[in-house]
Amino acid sequence: MSDRRLVKPVAVAALAVLLCLPPFYLDAFWLRIGLFSLAAAIGATGLSLLSGTAGQLSLGHAFFLAVGAYGYTWLAGDPGPGLPTALAALLAVLLAGAAGGLFSPVAGRVRGIYLGVATLALVFLGHHLLLTADSVTGGFNGRSVPPLAVGGFAFTGDDPGLTVLGVPFGAEERLWYLALALFALTWFTARGLLRSRPGRALAALRDSETAAAVMGVDVARYRSAAFVVSSMYAGLAGVLLALAFRRVVPDYFSLALSVDYLAMIVIGGLGTVAGATAGAVFVTALPLLMTRYADRLPLVAAPGSGDAGIGPTEAARYLYGAVVVVILLYAPDGLHGLARRVRARMRRRRTPAGQNTAPAVPPAPAARPKEHTP
Amino acid sequence: MSVPSLQVRDVTVRFAGLTALDDVSFTVAPGTTHALIGPNGAGKSTCFNVLSGLYRPAAGSVRLGDTELTRLAPHRIAALGVARTFQNIVITDGTVADNLMLGRHILTRAGFAASALHLPRARREQRDHRARARETAELVGIGAHFDSLVGLLSYGDRKRVELARALCLEPRVLLLDEPVAGMNAGERARMAEVIQDVRTELGLSVVLVEHDMGLVMRLADEVTVLDFGRRIAHGSPDEVRRDPEVLRAYLGSVAEGEGAA
Repeated sequence: MSDRRLVKPVAVAALAVLLCLPPFYLDAFWLRIGLFSLAAAIGATGLSLLSGTAGQLSLGHAFFLAVGAYGYTWLAGDPGPGLPTALAALLAVLLAGAAGGLFSPVAGRVRGIYLGVATLALVFLGHHLLLTADSVTGGFNGRSVPPLAVGGFAFTGDDPGLTVLGVPFGAEERLWYLALALFALTWFTARGLLRSRPGRALAALRDSETAAAVMGVDVARYRSAAFVVSSMYAGLAGVLLALAFRRVVPDYFSLALSVDYLAMIVIGGLGTVAGATAGAVFVTALPLLMTRYADRLPLVAAPGSGDAGIGPTEAARYLYGAVVVVILLYAPDGLHGLARRVRARMRRRRTPAGQNTAPAVPPAPAARPKEHTP
Repeated sequence: MSVPSLQVRDVTVRFAGLTALDDVSFTVAPGTTHALIGPNGAGKSTCFNVLSGLYRPAAGSVRLGDTELTRLAPHRIAALGVARTFQNIVITDGTVADNLMLGRHILTRAGFAASALHLPRARREQRDHRARARETAELVGIGAHFDSLVGLLSYGDRKRVELARALCLEPRVLLLDEPVAGMNAGERARMAEVIQDVRTELGLSVVLVEHDMGLVMRLADEVTVLDFGRRIAHGSPDEVRRDPEVLRAYLGSVAEGEGAA
């Protein structure tokens, strides 16, 4: 028993060390993939909390990401108040949370697919605002993002110059550690939420609002709280994405981005942090990797090569579209559920027949059971 | 913990012209089991939904002690100590423990910030209440399944999870909507024992909707019979059993002059 209890902390520590290594061994391309993946994982965790745990379909995640990204850019930049960048980042996250809170009167009234459509409006509204509010957003061309600096240490190539173990630490290397720290924070807080009172209340809302209410859960309050918390994670992801891109443009925060995030949480498995992370890495890294290795992939044309074939970005979309379908059909609880079942099966195989104590993990139902109406 | 009486006075509920409950009154004396019976569609579940705040009656009042319940939201009524189960099992995906801890929602405080940051206060609360939830699970006889996923449990056990979750609210009034529906004889007998045990052990009032007359006769101190939303009989189980109105409602109209046997 004691060795099994040790396994987990040791595994976590090993993983942490492993995640600190890439800047020493991988070039900027891979670091950027990692950076975008980590940012997406933070955002996807937020959406997973809202749509996966609390069962509120949101197509408006891109809007909250935009609030975080543009919020930071405006708060830290010129034109804008030009606040210290760390403070601007924090305020941008709170701003995104406030935006989620402002939406809650709507979120409290509509459910299911209607909520999805209502959140869709947010994306269009947001996109329109980003294009037209020139003085804040820079309009169609967007704005360049002021680099983050914490206590005189800037997350840029040189300020101050830094070389660790013979590796010069440029923007990518520095941002990698920032992203890692923020991701660890996301993991820690989201797990805390999911495994305690608020998380259980949100899950109860998803399965039956009626049952949740008679158990003493203030349904309206928790529905809006889910939006606020989810938007704060989206805001944090937005800040990180802005820092990674160094430029924010309106077209990035389109409906396609919202759909990407939904794909992430479906592929990864709804309602878990690990699932959201796995899905985020998959959806983010796939197009980038396919672009990089387009010349070696069949049927995929390298960008700019003029060959017949589909572009790598489109190919990636086809591929993860197919993955979403396959997952919905064969593993509705996503990569996370799949991994869990494989683990349970391995555990069963290891324990001799007869003393089988490990419970089988049931496959998740393909669709949620209908809301119970007493 | 003093259990106040639950007084239902002249409650009327209408759905678009259909009167689901028509001037229904009854009182659940503290610490007793009160059964609500009647044919399908008689308004029993509607009555429960009024008691737990899901429906607002068109007229009438429901009082728990001195508190008027009909104007309160469901979660406020739960906080006053009225817990219920559903006719069809409604439990959350996850483990038995997760479900029972949901039952302790109103008795716990940890909010979003404290939980997200794993504050010691929140962790201590979670640990303490988990221990209490485990006791409840054992009381109901599902202690062995405490960490099992509810999806793996038998129908009877899931029914008991629902009961245990309601008990986790530490209610003063427990509303049970068909607690043995769909169970086999063995499960029914065990459930009846559990209900009797928790009532004597926790001293709460129980309002029971049930079609199983054997169970009703065995558990109930008082019975109210509804038919088409109206109260047609009221009294001890024995009185109700002999009531001609009740027999007519259950067996159809009896030919003129024939005695109701």
